[in-house]
Amino acid sequence: MNRGHLAFGMFLAACAAVGGQGLTPGQPAALGPTISGTDFSGSWRPNQLVTESQTAAGDLADFGGIPLNDAARLYALSWPASRQTVKQHQCMGYVTPYFWYAPGNYRIWEERDPFTQRLTAWRFYGQIAQGDRTVYMDGRPHPPAYAPHTFSGFSTGEYQGNTLTVTTTHLKRGWIKANGIPQSDAATVVEHFIRHGDMITILSVIDDPVYLSEPLSKASMVVRMAKDPDAWLYPCDDSEQIFGRKNDVVPNHLFGQNPYAREFADRRKIPLLAALGGAETMYPELGNALRDATAAENTAKARMVPSGPPAVSRASDPTPTDGEIHTMRVSGDVYLLAGDGANIAVQVGPQGAFVVDTGAGKLSDKVIAAIGRISARPIQFIVNTNFRPDHTGGNAQLQAAGADPSLTGTFFSMQFQGAGRGATIISQLNTQTRMTELKLPAPPSDTFVEDRRRKYHNGEAVEVFPQPNATTDGDSVVHFRRADVIVAGDVFSTTQYPNIDTQRGGSVQGTIQALNFILDRTVYIHDEDGGTLIIPGHGRVTDEWEVAEYRDMLVIVRDRVQSLIQSGATLQQVLAARPSADYDVRYGATKGPWTTAMFVEAVYTSLKTPPKAGTR
Amino acid sequence: MTGYWVSVVGEDWRWRMFPTRGDYGAVPLNAAARKIADSWDPAKDASAGEACKAFAAPVVMRIPGRLHVTWPDDQTLKIDTDAGQQTRLFHFGNPPPQTQTEDWQGVSRAEWDLGNAGAGGLFFGGGGQAGAPSGSLKVVTTRMRPGYVTRNGVPFSGNATLTEYYDLVKEKSGTQYLVLTSMLDDSTYMSQPMWTATHFKKQVDASRFNPVACGK
Repeated sequence: MNRGHLAFGMFLAACAAVGGQGLTPGQPAALGPTISGTDFSGSWRPNQLVTESQTAAGDLADFGGIPLNDAARLYALSWPASRQTVKQHQCMGYVTPYFWYAPGNYRIWEERDPFTQRLTAWRFYGQIAQGDRTVYMDGRPHPPAYAPHTFSGFSTGEYQGNTLTVTTTHLKRGWIKANGIPQSDAATVVEHFIRHGDMITILSVIDDPVYLSEPLSKASMVVRMAKDPDAWLYPCDDSEQIFGRKNDVVPNHLFGQNPYAREFADRRKIPLLAALGGAETMYPELGNALRDATAAENTAKARMVPSGPPAVSRASDPTPTDGEIHTMRVSGDVYLLAGDGANIAVQVGPQGAFVVDTGAGKLSDKVIAAIGRISARPIQFIVNTNFRPDHTGGNAQLQAAGADPSLTGTFFSMQFQGAGRGATIISQLNTQTRMTELKLPAPPSDTFVEDRRRKYHNGEAVEVFPQPNATTDGDSVVHFRRADVIVAGDVFSTTQYPNIDTQRGGSVQGTIQALNFILDRTVYIHDEDGGTLIIPGHGRVTDEWEVAEYRDMLVIVRDRVQSLIQSGATLQQVLAARPSADYDVRYGATKGPWTTAMFVEAVYTSLKTPPKAGTR
Repeated sequence: MTGYWVSVVGEDWRWRMFPTRGDYGAVPLNAAARKIADSWDPAKDASAGEACKAFAAPVVMRIPGRLHVTWPDDQTLKIDTDAGQQTRLFHFGNPPPQTQTEDWQGVSRAEWDLGNAGAGGLFFGGGGQAGAPSGSLKVVTTRMRPGYVTRNGVPFSGNATLTEYYDLVKEKSGTQYLVLTSMLDDSTYMSQPMWTATHFKKQVDASRFNPVACGK
């Protein structure tokens, strides 16, 4: 096993370990079923007859038989095959059930407890993208919502008679079909494995509240091979594919301008309405919708552009709301504390805790207690990634609970009364200025302007990078280099559109640049899984894949708004055009502190009037 | 299995919903079959009174439609299809008399295929609680009148054997699926056995069961 695989295995093990957090302390995990069902062990390949006719990719705009909703259809129509030239898309992994449509080999084996011989897990390995899945049979719970997602997801299984039923959550955004039909990271997939001799039939049911109007059920098959094929690897390194292309270019078709939208339908003599998919295309009554060809054609055309009222996110917010602080080790000595507004990151070690953001301040006592449970030393440093109260609300209490012994006895202590008493709070200068303007408590005292702020703390290089004119004029991201964890602040969220504050120096282009800055520092382990981990300002821990997805979304919405501006559209016309229609089901809101309309307006405003570079 | 079911066309959508001449997907047809399929003319079939060739046992379960499954007696399971108004009879126990003439649905012998059924095997097994026996319905159909294996004219011969496994699965939501794994073995027109997977979703009633005769 090479080091990459070892590290990837450790990453998967870490994700699995998170799953054990739901167990009551001291309670042993279940032993696994006392009776095993069908044996699925062996080397398998896809049923050639099936894979040739339902290839993983499919034709462009071949969406029939899939209950995709309007947003998913727009997403898919916006997707050009050239998207795959973007670095982060070149080695994308396979989510299930797409996993089973690949043309490579599969190995299935069981893991048994050495003492009881009970079945503890099924393992599925797919050659293409080297998908490595573990299906726990020991009754353990699924991880908390704020845990990382992977292309393999987190799977548990049980027998229903001879059928093995596997439930998978914590999947990344992947493909239902690699012609642009997305499967969201909110999807739950249930697979039923039925073996007949040398054939396994897999009925997969995808329940995706974001992109499907009803569950998608689909059967696939694999055939047992008598001999190990000795072909199991899938090396993939991304590379430069388009020389000179800037990293804020993400190929996409503007709404209604996909030149290939009719290609499949016309070539196969299929009505466009049917080719564009939707729940009705799965059932025998499809013909009824096609009976009036003119009406069907008009309906199809209407579905190729946004219509109807704005949608809201159908993905649940993973942030705990039970009034408790939830602690999760992310990597190395870096932890996530979730539950009090924005995410809090804590690095621990012999020098003292290094905290990034302090939350909303409503649960600061519990935050301090949680830090005390993972750190034997007091809080020494606090970094604020921006000025917002949900990131800085705990400054005063956390500062007071800490101490900065590096200042005690120095010339600082002669200049400033109380130097070293309390943690030192660090930020980009504009964050300090904004907090002072807004009279927010405990603004940072240690600031920087244009260059990175670096420290070697707890045996680890820690870098704080300013991100000019991102969501504000004072954003920073923090990189813990040994743990390889990046704390992104509000430039990245898994729960909402970026809160771009154009009144305080924020801009869409600056936020895109900040996301690309993060992506320039990340390395995955294999096929866009693992490696550098990211703690977003809000939402769950991710790796680079989700950051790339978020960057893509922002670039694509920017391109659409820019195109509308160039055609002379006013703000109201831009809003009416719903330039984020395919993403609203994932990030959108129509009420609350940050709505889709506010986001689109921020994009529009920052494109019409870009902020001046530099600090205030 | 009894009740009404609707086919969910997630697999091989293009071929099942919009069959066209010459587009055979991954059907392992040989040269002789291709020659016949390439000259497929549904109008000719209809005028010859053979419109039901495209609703024969190897294909009728793949056609988008609804099923009605009943037990007319304790040795026979019956499936009525609304597409083509076909009836399939699965005989348990003794086979039906040989006097039956060949028809599109052939003669089907059925048995319960319990496999190991989670019982820990026949010998030495079952260290813990045994679940209720469950398994598949296995159906082997022969003596079919030659027809098509696809809706676009790929033929099967009178020597073909169709082996089918029917399995029920239930989602936590309560949705029930009927999963059909089938293998058509026909050395006359296939270069290898043709395996397909098809599935159906349970319906609450007969309200959308809409029988339509072949060719209509």
